[in-house]
Amino acid sequence: MEKPSWTPIVLSGAIPREATDLLAILVMGIVALETSLATIGPPAFNSRLLLSLLVVPPTCALASVSTTTRRTREELALFAYGGSAWQILLRYFFRGAIIALAAFSPIILQGIIATASVFGLILLVIALFLAGGLFYSLPSLRRIRSSSFVENYKS
Amino acid sequence: MPSMIETRSVVVEYPSVRGVLRLYDQGVSLKLDQGDFLAVLGGSGWGKSTLVNVVLGLEKPIHGSVTFRDHDVTRESFVKRCSLVKTAAVFQRPTALPQMTVSQNLHLALSLAGVPRKERDERIKEALAFFGLDKIERSYPDGLSAGQRRRIDLARALAVKPELLVIDEPTGDLDGSATNLLIPLLRGLNRNQGTTIFMTTALPRQASQAKHQVHLRQPMVLTPENRMIGD
Repeated sequence: MEKPSWTPIVLSGAIPREATDLLAILVMGIVALETSLATIGPPAFNSRLLLSLLVVPPTCALASVSTTTRRTREELALFAYGGSAWQILLRYFFRGAIIALAAFSPIILQGIIATASVFGLILLVIALFLAGGLFYSLPSLRRIRSSSFVENYKS
Repeated sequence: MPSMIETRSVVVEYPSVRGVLRLYDQGVSLKLDQGDFLAVLGGSGWGKSTLVNVVLGLEKPIHGSVTFRDHDVTRESFVKRCSLVKTAAVFQRPTALPQMTVSQNLHLALSLAGVPRKERDERIKEALAFFGLDKIERSYPDGLSAGQRRRIDLARALAVKPELLVIDEPTGDLDGSATNLLIPLLRGLNRNQGTTIFMTTALPRQASQAKHQVHLRQPMVLTPENRMIGD
């Protein structure tokens, strides 16, 4: 008889393969890329900002999927109370939008103080609002539309 | 006068590892009139909760139709169905929002049901007192027992004063005294307030308390006993 080994448990789960792992890699990768580019030379403000904006979709999606169990309970309750799918989506869309806007508030404030182009500032706010809202609410949409969603009402 | 709810030859299918699992092979046909109290009796895994979901529009049948007051709602959502018949549902698994207190959960449900603000407090107070939840109205559901969470769902559903109460296994998770209170409460609601009740249960004694019963029998075919159509 072979001696029991602990390695299969470690090795079978050591390689990141979940969607949340990928999202975490993406977020850290973008931040790392930005940092390494900054060491090469001072990039233009816009190119650095665009790079920072790339962090919004994966971070919002990560925040949304990392609490799937709790979120599913919320969605089930809201449906049971008579809420509709679009109301639930809007709830998460606005939450995601607020998260993105709050996170980028230093840049928005800097833009206001520096009296940067109003058009550019509005564009930035719209981009943050849409990207944050969309990527935070998409996992919810996927869950609600899944055929296994209502199975959660059964014990 | 049209029936409040009618299902005609409803068949549901599920993909499973062994192929497609078909529930209610012969089709479920049942009719619920205003003021009825119908109990669907069946064993575990026989499709009682699926039937609840089909009636509420949370699962769609592959064959057959569902009508609410003569409106075909087979492909319509729960919200649309609620606009035709004011409905409250209590599911097998407790559904209270975890980040809201017991009282806030009821407030949210009543506001979604369109209950005027000034009426809400009174109704919530009554419902909480009835189910013995008044002492924990400021507690969060996660810190409560399964039985208490079940009572929150019941309080929430009854506070809405629905025309139709759909209730899946009403006494699951409830202790003896709460169970003994609930069925007479449902009968009282039905008799005194005219609330139409659609209930599922695995307990024949509970089903016998309803005005009408239908029995689900393996292999997941609904056999007519009472209130069936086309028989």
